Amino acid sequence: MGINKKYWSSLDELQKTSASQEALTNEFTRSGEQSVEAFLSDSKLNEANTGRRDFLKFMGFGLAAATLAACETPVVKSIPYVVKPEEITPGVANFYASTYYDGNDYGNMLVKTREGRPIFIKGNKSYGLSGGTLNSRMNASVLGLYDSARLKGPKKAGADIDWNTLDTEVKAALSSASSVRILSSTVISPSTQRAINEFSAKYAGKVKHVQYDTISYAGLAKANGGSVPNYNFSTAKAIVSIAADFLGTWVMPAAFTAQYAETRKPENGWISKHYQFESNMSLTGSNSDVRTAIRPSQEGLVAAALYAAVTGGTPVSVEGADTAIQSAAAELKANRGSSIVVAGSNDPQIQTIVAAINQALGNNGSTVDTKSGINLFKGSDAQVLQLIDEMNSGAVDALIVYGCNPSYSWYDADKFNAGLQKVKTSVSFNLFADETGSRCTYMAPEHHYLESWNDYSPMKGRTDLAQPTISPLYATRYAQESLLTWADNKTPYYDYVRQTHNSSYVAAMLKSDNNWNMAVHNGTFSTPVETAPVVVIEGNVTVDEALAAAAAAPAMMEAAPLNVNDALNYVSSIKGGEWELSLYQKVTLGNGNHANNALLHETPDPITKVTWDNYVTMAPADMREMGLETSIGQCDCASVVTVTVGGKTITLPAFPTPGQKRKTIGIALGYGRGAGNEEIGKASYQTGVEGVHLMDGDKRMTIGKNAYPLASVANGMVNYAVASVSIAAAEGTYAIATTQMHSTVMGRDSVVKETTISTFLKEKDKKKGEASYNMAVTLPVHEDVNKDGEIDVRDRQSIREADLWRDHPVEGVGHRWGLTIDLSSCIGCGSCITACHTENNVPVVGKDEVLRHRDMHWMRIDRYFSSAQDTLKETKEANNVGTIGAYRLMEDPEENPQTVHMPMMCQHCNHAPCETVCPVAATVHSNEGLNNMAYNRCIGTRYCANNCPYKVRRFNWFNYVTNDKFAMVNPSQDDSLRWVLNPDVTVRTRGVMEKCSMCQQRIQAGKTEAKRNGTVVTDGSILTACAEACPTNAIVFGDLNDNKSQNTKRASSVRSYHALEEVGIQPNIYYMTKVRNIEESEA
Amino acid sequence: MFKESNIRKPLILGHKTYHDITQDIVSPIEGPAPKQWKIAITIALIVALYGIGCIMYLVGVGIGSWGLNKTVGWAWDITNFVWWVGIGHAGTLISAVLLLFRQRWRMAINRSAEAMTIFAVMMAAVFPVFHMGRVWMAYWTLPLPNQFGSLWPNFNSALMWDVFAISTYFSVSLVFWYIGLIPDFATIRDRMTKPGMKKFYSILSFGWSGRAKHWTRFEEVSLVLAGIATPLVFSVHSIVSMDFATSIVPGWHTTIFPPYFVSGAIFSGFAMVQTLLLIMRKTMKLEAYIHLKHIEYMNIVIIVTGSIVGVAYLTELFISDYSGVQYESYAFINRFSGPLAWSYWCMMTCNVISPQLFWFKKLRTNLGFTFVMSIIVNIGMWFERFVIIVTSIHRDYIPAAWGEFKASTIDIGMFIGTIGIFFTLFLLFARYFPVLALNELKTILKATGESYKNDNKH
Repeated sequence: MGINKKYWSSLDELQKTSASQEALTNEFTRSGEQSVEAFLSDSKLNEANTGRRDFLKFMGFGLAAATLAACETPVVKSIPYVVKPEEITPGVANFYASTYYDGNDYGNMLVKTREGRPIFIKGNKSYGLSGGTLNSRMNASVLGLYDSARLKGPKKAGADIDWNTLDTEVKAALSSASSVRILSSTVISPSTQRAINEFSAKYAGKVKHVQYDTISYAGLAKANGGSVPNYNFSTAKAIVSIAADFLGTWVMPAAFTAQYAETRKPENGWISKHYQFESNMSLTGSNSDVRTAIRPSQEGLVAAALYAAVTGGTPVSVEGADTAIQSAAAELKANRGSSIVVAGSNDPQIQTIVAAINQALGNNGSTVDTKSGINLFKGSDAQVLQLIDEMNSGAVDALIVYGCNPSYSWYDADKFNAGLQKVKTSVSFNLFADETGSRCTYMAPEHHYLESWNDYSPMKGRTDLAQPTISPLYATRYAQESLLTWADNKTPYYDYVRQTHNSSYVAAMLKSDNNWNMAVHNGTFSTPVETAPVVVIEGNVTVDEALAAAAAAPAMMEAAPLNVNDALNYVSSIKGGEWELSLYQKVTLGNGNHANNALLHETPDPITKVTWDNYVTMAPADMREMGLETSIGQCDCASVVTVTVGGKTITLPAFPTPGQKRKTIGIALGYGRGAGNEEIGKASYQTGVEGVHLMDGDKRMTIGKNAYPLASVANGMVNYAVASVSIAAAEGTYAIATTQMHSTVMGRDSVVKETTISTFLKEKDKKKGEASYNMAVTLPVHEDVNKDGEIDVRDRQSIREADLWRDHPVEGVGHRWGLTIDLSSCIGCGSCITACHTENNVPVVGKDEVLRHRDMHWMRIDRYFSSAQDTLKETKEANNVGTIGAYRLMEDPEENPQTVHMPMMCQHCNHAPCETVCPVAATVHSNEGLNNMAYNRCIGTRYCANNCPYKVRRFNWFNYVTNDKFAMVNPSQDDSLRWVLNPDVTVRTRGVMEKCSMCQQRIQAGKTEAKRNGTVVTDGSILTACAEACPTNAIVFGDLNDNKSQNTKRASSVRSYHALEEVGIQPNIYYMTKVRNIEESEA
Repeated sequence: MFKESNIRKPLILGHKTYHDITQDIVSPIEGPAPKQWKIAITIALIVALYGIGCIMYLVGVGIGSWGLNKTVGWAWDITNFVWWVGIGHAGTLISAVLLLFRQRWRMAINRSAEAMTIFAVMMAAVFPVFHMGRVWMAYWTLPLPNQFGSLWPNFNSALMWDVFAISTYFSVSLVFWYIGLIPDFATIRDRMTKPGMKKFYSILSFGWSGRAKHWTRFEEVSLVLAGIATPLVFSVHSIVSMDFATSIVPGWHTTIFPPYFVSGAIFSGFAMVQTLLLIMRKTMKLEAYIHLKHIEYMNIVIIVTGSIVGVAYLTELFISDYSGVQYESYAFINRFSGPLAWSYWCMMTCNVISPQLFWFKKLRTNLGFTFVMSIIVNIGMWFERFVIIVTSIHRDYIPAAWGEFKASTIDIGMFIGTIGIFFTLFLLFARYFPVLALNELKTILKATGESYKNDNKH
């Protein structure tokens, strides 16, 4: 049945009015509108101003424009490899074994490169010397590669020339010269020596090669038969150092540090007993068990007294040091053959006595190897003196300066410079137009060491290789190639090095020499080819004659060893003045090679914690006597003093250093670079508040002052101890930027714990938390928890029982990353700080910001000096004062304090106080025990930093990448220096908080690697930058949920504790109690 | 025989009539701006602009333009914040709490005290907002739906609570204040002859007609708002104090903080009211409305709250020592004997010792002395916050991290600048708004001739 109903929508429709009929045919009924057909067929349309075609054009344009505008995004150009190098996967780092040698420091390293850029340097643990340890100077040296102040090509008298012109001119000059001199740092490279020999042969009879060490060890070498002995601290049970900073700057500090650390592991059942006699508080002294402050003029006497006590000769008395000397001698005698005595003095007489002590103790052959010695530090001050005299007499026609900077570092640089003026042709191979280079006629810059092949023989039986990790950035050339070119040998230096190790090498053998290939891989030859001995060509002899002479008398470069009795007589006649000065090197800046390295400038000195400056170290008591400012900070500038040595004066701020012998002062070498406004890098000069270089007239102000002129030469040896100086307060004040204001631990025994070796051994088998020196923190409660029927002070609960928060499920589940830090092993050298900086792109902020306490160090090393009494109670009783007075007294360190170095970084607390207070949850806990920081979420309230009891959070006060204030110091602001940034770590913007991430990117990479290999993460396969850089293994990283990991073992040992355990925040960083080798009564 | 009870002293002096009140309050708005006002607002504006310049510099360059550092992450910023919030306490207390307690003398001062509250809270808000490293992300503190998935703010954080506490307090105070203003705006509207201004006030007065029904609703709403506002007076500063109390910093982590902060806030708030009213009554000739009785009452509040604060200081000291916690005890020893001891003693003198002088009637009824005192109290209260914040964190747990603090010019400029902005706003208020609640005042005018009975002095 069909539907027959009709529906109508209006009465009009029902009635079928005309309007409704029309409406039915016309869909668009409103008046004024017409159908599309009617519109398009309207003939008047063509007369309209906007025609249909125009309309469509506009539409099309509008659509296209809107589309284009919406699509526009910033275009970041990245250029893909046309032919991808086989070994490079973008995003994956490559490591290359190489070797560092700058004429002073020596180390075997692995260079991390990302997409062809070296960005990080770490020790070559597998094949390196003493476990491939590096110090901060070496691991920060990667910045030097990218320094935009480096010479970009050869220059003549300041103007650019090309290499061909240079070669032609220099060769002409050399041919016409009647005497050619090469002044270099100690050459330990066999190939370089070959090149020099070849050059000498070419210009036979007129070449003399003089080696010059910036810091001279000529006295030490002389006393030991012509070469610096090879020391081995690793088996030394008794160590006596007379002013030798062997952990910081002396001879081969990086290697010695690793060896020394071997002797400081109480778990072995013993630790070495370390005595230090010195005037300045050195890094080594701060780690010694017994430190005795002596005057520099007493160094010889201490050696003599030790000699007497060890050999039973006529006793010698040293004022203020007798007890320590007797005790040291007893220890030495008790450990014959496994003890070591070293001295820092460059006086051969003192070194002769020290050598005799080692001889008497039977240490030669065990801890001291005088027979073969090391190849470093062959420089001869006497020859340098002679050379300068020659130059001044006009007898030198051509001088080639290679790897040294005597215009800066020679004690009498003025005389050297005057002599240089008289040299007709001078060539510098230095990387910069530095003090010496800019005074030379020609500058023929060599490659940076990270751009170079080279071989090094630091000691007999060992040859290491350096390989390039990047193509040369600039039009530089191997120094060796320059020498060879001038000797008409066109062999590229790479081939030349290979020929040194395989005389039959030809280019076709590029990859077939296994010995070589393994050496490149390992960084060292497993079977070194006996290379030609490194010889110094003297006067008018030919190479062959020199080689023959060297073969005939292997260790006869200096006079025969001195007589001990003469030396003993000599040292007893040394007289000191009222004030004495000891020149030293800072651990961070060394001898001044790294003056352009902002990172090293910003790394605080391990003892004074001062950055960006040198100063006169003085005993606080002396400073108070002279009315100098002793509390130095943002609000209190340091007083300035003038030090006068034999007519030379130097004006520097005075800095109070506990442990400094009264009436002695210390000044660091290595500062004051670029006094002639040389182009040696932006960071070498002082930068003011506005971020521009401070000017002194038309010259930029140097950082610190050059103290080399205060040295002197006695008996042909540079002497760094000055027996008579005068010191006077000068006008004005000077701001000094330190990273640590307060020196003592204020009796807070839950921050630093320490004990003595005897106590440790007595309680070795106790459980964690039960040892007398490391009791677990408990809280008394008003409940009978011990069920003795009484509620009293013995009712105590673990700190973990009193907790507001639920436990994070990190224990026993998955990974739980953590660090253990052994305060016994940590020597405070600061390698971890520089490693952390380069790994994590931590901003370098410059002196003004450090002065405002805004250093950005993700990790720092807290250094505590002991105060006279350990606790508040003892202080009150000993001094008969109240609490306020006692706290005041505790703020002052002792005159000769004991020192603790405590690395401090984010403790990754499981109950982190920072996490609860962040309003936007930007800092949160990971399920692997890490306290994560989401930079993108951070709005910068800084509440987390305030609530962090360790004060390890760092706020981005400025945009360090763009703010002009940091243009001179922050690597990210330099077009080439920013290549050193680690692409795995974001560069933080201003206004966000940052802190130690426990190298999250490395953890992630390690986990990914394990996953890819289908394995679990094995212990040791992931290392944080600090743990990797630590030369003493004081910092160990690992999974605390892995019961077999080294880290878990350490964390559960009797020595381990949490800093500030009673706060109840459950850190994932454990510290291990410091153990000193002292008697309980001395503790 | 009968005895007539003593006649209470009038709350409004000077035999004012209803018309007089209207005339006194409204005519300054109608007339041209006096020269003094022009000078004052010029100065205030210059200072305010300088402050705004400092803020712009801060936002442009970074928080590093302040003197903060790695150890002292908060200093002047949060000090100023707490100080301003504290000042902002008196207004609502006067209008809400005293309303509930039927303290009718409040009517002469509540309007300007509330205005002060609102402006002070606005100034307070400047600091927590601009102390953020990335102020353009400030809205992330609000629990807004966002494109980050279910990403919420951290409700554990006391700063989060602050956001709610301050915004609630500000909105309730603003509404309360505005409701009170409506009848007065209507009065101005009715008198206003200039058409533009008439329009302006008629919009502001929400069509108030003065009917009995309006008045009933007005009173009911006032009472309800007073009920809401009263707990807020106590909650705001309690929550502000939790910024510190819920942390683990020795010297901050103190359960005494909420009551101690609230009384401190009332203390400083009343002092600020004194400062402002003493100037205002003089320059705007309001001596008949705001007279010694008000001043004295407020001084009594100052003694009471000042004494509470003093007791709190001493309690803190005692507890820190009694706790036996070395960090806690050192924090307080350091406060009064350390490098920043001067600020502690400044605080003690200004807040604890000096208000005790108000026990002398002669002093608490002396206008000049009260004025000086009100300034001293506000200085003292500023130092209280400075002491709590800076001296606690500059030396906390790890001695190696101990530091010092030095204010920068931007620190100082911003603080001075907010004072400038505050006075600019307050002067605008005094010029264009009825400074006294004139319609309410009329309810406390003695309505009969009896007042003249035994009082021929008038």
